[in-house]
Order: sequence, then structure tokens, then C-alpha cells
Amino acid sequence: MFRTEMMDINMGPQHPSTHGVLRLKLVLDGETVNDTDVLIGYLHRGVEKLCETKNYHMIEPYTDRLDYVAAMYENLGYVETVEKLMGITVPERAEYIRVLTAELQRIASHLVWLGTHALDIGAMTVFFYCFREREIILDLFEAFCGARLTYNAYRIGGLPWDIPPGWIDRVRHFVKIFPGRQKEYETLLTKNRIWLGRTKGVGILKSEDAIDFGVTGPCLRASGVDYDIRRAHPYSVYDRFLFDIPTGENCDTYDRYLVRMEEMRQSLRILQQALDHLPAGGVMAKVPKRIKPPVGEVYHTVEGPRGELGFYIVSQGDDKPYRMRFRSPSFVNLQALPHMVKGALVADVVAVIGTLDIVLGDVDR
Amino acid sequence: MGMQAFLQKVLLLELWQGMWVTLKNQFRPHITVEYPRETVEFAPRFRGVPRLRKDPQTGEELCISCLLCEAICPTECISIVAEKRPDGKGKQLVSFTINYERCCFCGLCVDPCPTKPITAIYMSHDYEFAGYDRDAYVATREELVDGKPVKIYTR
Ligand code: SF4
Ligand code: SF4
Repeated sequence: MFRTEMMDINMGPQHPSTHGVLRLKLVLDGETVNDTDVLIGYLHRGVEKLCETKNYHMIEPYTDRLDYVAAMYENLGYVETVEKLMGITVPERAEYIRVLTAELQRIASHLVWLGTHALDIGAMTVFFYCFREREIILDLFEAFCGARLTYNAYRIGGLPWDIPPGWIDRVRHFVKIFPGRQKEYETLLTKNRIWLGRTKGVGILKSEDAIDFGVTGPCLRASGVDYDIRRAHPYSVYDRFLFDIPTGENCDTYDRYLVRMEEMRQSLRILQQALDHLPAGGVMAKVPKRIKPPVGEVYHTVEGPRGELGFYIVSQGDDKPYRMRFRSPSFVNLQALPHMVKGALVADVVAVIGTLDIVLGDVDR
Repeated sequence: MGMQAFLQKVLLLELWQGMWVTLKNQFRPHITVEYPRETVEFAPRFRGVPRLRKDPQTGEELCISCLLCEAICPTECISIVAEKRPDGKGKQLVSFTINYERCCFCGLCVDPCPTKPITAIYMSHDYEFAGYDRDAYVATREELVDGKPVKIYTR
């Protein structure tokens, strides 16, 4: 007489907690998720193909638009890849300023993650506080490069400008006040029983599954794998800084929260060291006006706030790349989603999307 | 369950700590800017829409029609028509248009501009644009020098 039926529900593409235009087709058994189909492509712009028609200078503004929450890393990865291909050595001061801006960007990006993740789960206050502190960082970026979101802040061979006067003091001020602010977020969340209830044991991703899916970044480290590109394949001047790589044990959403919180603290440590050892000198290496890398191919990765951000360029000696490919961490990490939400409740899907910290501009490219 | 954990559970300690944080934040200075009644102050390097400028001393046009900015623009939104000068030396502008609709504010056009001591094209601090049609976003040479007129709507 009674029978149950599976039901297909569309979550997205305009759902507020999917962080963009992500569509999930959930097969539900009551409240329980039985199967998930991730449908992407709503934001596809064909950037990889577009890059084949642009010269090397013109591509950098396009990389800004991939992961728009952490555009500094896209810029950094791109220019470093071209520099590696051409064998350009960047002046030391430029490298330090790149590290400074990149680590500030990591904090800003994690603040967006924390704010929106908490908002999805129902803690609205944290969102406002996080964005208040992010505003300080964006002001610093505006003073440095003139833009607040799509920076186009580096150039192949160095930086277009040195830092403006007074900038270092403003960064020092931020490094001083931020730990106190971070403590406030933690007071609001870390022991909050609703937060614990919504994140503990939710979205478990075992380390071997994480490796199988190719998950990188904080999601991988929260699964207990100690892998960070800054340590494993140091780029820029990262081999000179002391910092810890936080890892988790329980592989759940709560551990990913703890790992990212700790990463912000480690970023502050790197900032402090970079500020103390900032060398003097020029910021631009000698590069030809027309960038024409030699024939060859190159793959280079940087550790973005979301994971391994890779750039692959095939050059045929032209001033345009023959093939350009981005390995975007959001896209790869998103693959683990169906596995992580299998058997969970619908409300947990929201938490898992938040904890994966995807940016749809990065997923769809 | 230890005594401390028990107390924590009964007294809702973590809740009160959180409330204390929100209370403390009530007394921090407000940072919200009531746009459009007030506006934020821009950093000197702020990149608004690109514009052209004249030599501040002589009042002559700086642009020498070298087309470098047109060549580097990633969105191809600059279009320049130039002709030979009547005296045979170099080129002069016939028209210079930037389609602000396509401009992505990247600032790349400023980098190669060769004029000295300041670049002819520069990133201005203008950012307020609203229009009813696409033509409203095409800036001609005169508008690039004097700034695009901004229409202020009032109630
Ligand atoms: S700012 Fe960028 S997009 Fe705009 S006109 Fe200059 S080069 Fe083109
Ligand atoms: S680069 Fe400068 S001088 Fe050359 S066409 Fe553009 S604005 Fe004129």
C-alpha cells in the first residue's frame, strides 16, 4: 500500500549557497541524498582557447577572471610560468613583494570562505566581521596596484610598480590587529554547539579518497596528507620562510575549518618574516618588449588558497601561446562532492559545498 | 563528562562568549560609507576608466598616435585613426575612441605609452557610469580629454 520513491531535485544554478552558478541534481530518498550529479559549465568563457589568440602580456588580465576571489594567485602562477619558460630571474625585492601580496590574498580568500561558509550554515555575524577585515586587505591592494578584485598586479619579469610609501606600515598594522580579530571569529564558531553539530562528521573525505580524486589544498591537508606546494616544490622565495603546514585528523568539515584557520595564522607568520627581510633594489628584470618564449612546454604550480593551481603552456616560439591550460583546484576538488555527500542530508550538501570552497569562475574557466 | 564540560553545557558558556564578541563590536567605529551621499577616498593608483590628457604646460595633445596602446589592449576596445602630419613629421590623431563597455580596467594600455614626461593615456579616477544604451559607453577623443559628462539623477 505504501511505497517510497526516489525524487530528483535540482539545487541551483541560482541557489544562494552554491557560491555561483553550480547546478546539482540530487536524487533524494526523503531527506537523504542518494546520488548527486554535478552539472557545471554555466560560466564557461573559453579562456583557454581565447589565450591562444592573445600575446603573453594580454593574457594576465584574463587570468584575473578565473578565480576572482584570489586573483593574485592566478597572476602569480601565470607570470611565474612564463618566467620559467623564458628563464627570467626576477629581482629579489619583487619576489618578496609577490609573497607579501600573495599571502595577504590567501587571508582575504580564506575570509571570504569563512564568511560565506558560516552564512550558509546560519551564522550571519561572522560574515560581516570577515568582510570588514577583508576590506583592509583590499584597501592595501588598491594602494598597491589600483584595483580591488581583478588586480593585474604583476608583469612578466617583476612588478610594474614598487610599493607605495607607507604601505609596509599599513601591512604591519594589519598583521598586528588581525590575530585579535581572528580570535573573535573563533569565539563565535569553534565551540559553538550549532557550528559543531553542523560540521563535525559531515562530508568525510578519507585521505586515500582525497588522493584518488586529486583533491589538493586545505581539503587534502584536513584529510591528514601533509602536502603543500610551497614546501614540496618551493617556488618564488618560499624556501626561505619558516611556516608550519597544518593537517587534520578527522577528515570532516570541522577539521577543514580548523586547517584553514591555522593557515591564516601561518600566512601571518610568513608576512611577518617577509616584512622583516624585505630587500631593497629594483622590481623589474630586463625583459624584451615582445615576449617570445623559446619553443617548448612548461608546467608550473603554485599553492593557491584552494589548492594546486597549475599552468601549462606550449610555446612554438611565437608571441602567443600555442596551447594554454589551467589546472584549477576548484574544478578538481568539486569532483569529490558526490562522494562526500552520499548518504548525507540535504542540509549537509550546503555545508560540503561551503567547505570545498569552490569558485565557479575557476571551475568553468 | 568532566565538571568543566558539564558546566559549559549547562551555563551555555560558549554562547555568552559569542554574545560578548558581538556586543564589543557594537562599540567599534562604523566603517560603512553611505554611498552616494559620501564616497570613499581612492588610493592614488586607483584604476578607473582610461582617459587621455594634454601636456599640463603647453596644453597640447600628448598622444603621438603610435598605436601601442591599441595593440596591447586585451579587449580591443581602443580604436585609433591617425594620419600623416601636414608638415611631414610623424602622425596626428584623426579620432581616438575607447569603448568603455569592453574595457576591463586592466591598465595595460598605460604601460607602453612612450610620451614623456607623462603618458598620454592614463587611468583616471572616474567610475560612475550609467546609460540607457550601448552608445553611451563609447567615449570620443573630446570626452576622453574632458571626461565623460555624468548625469546625476535626482528625485
Ligand atoms: S584598461 Fe585595459 S581594457 Fe581598458 S583600454 Fe586599457 S588596455 Fe584596454
Ligand atoms: S600609446 Fe600613448 S602615444 Fe601611443 S597612441 Fe596610445 S595614447 Fe597615443
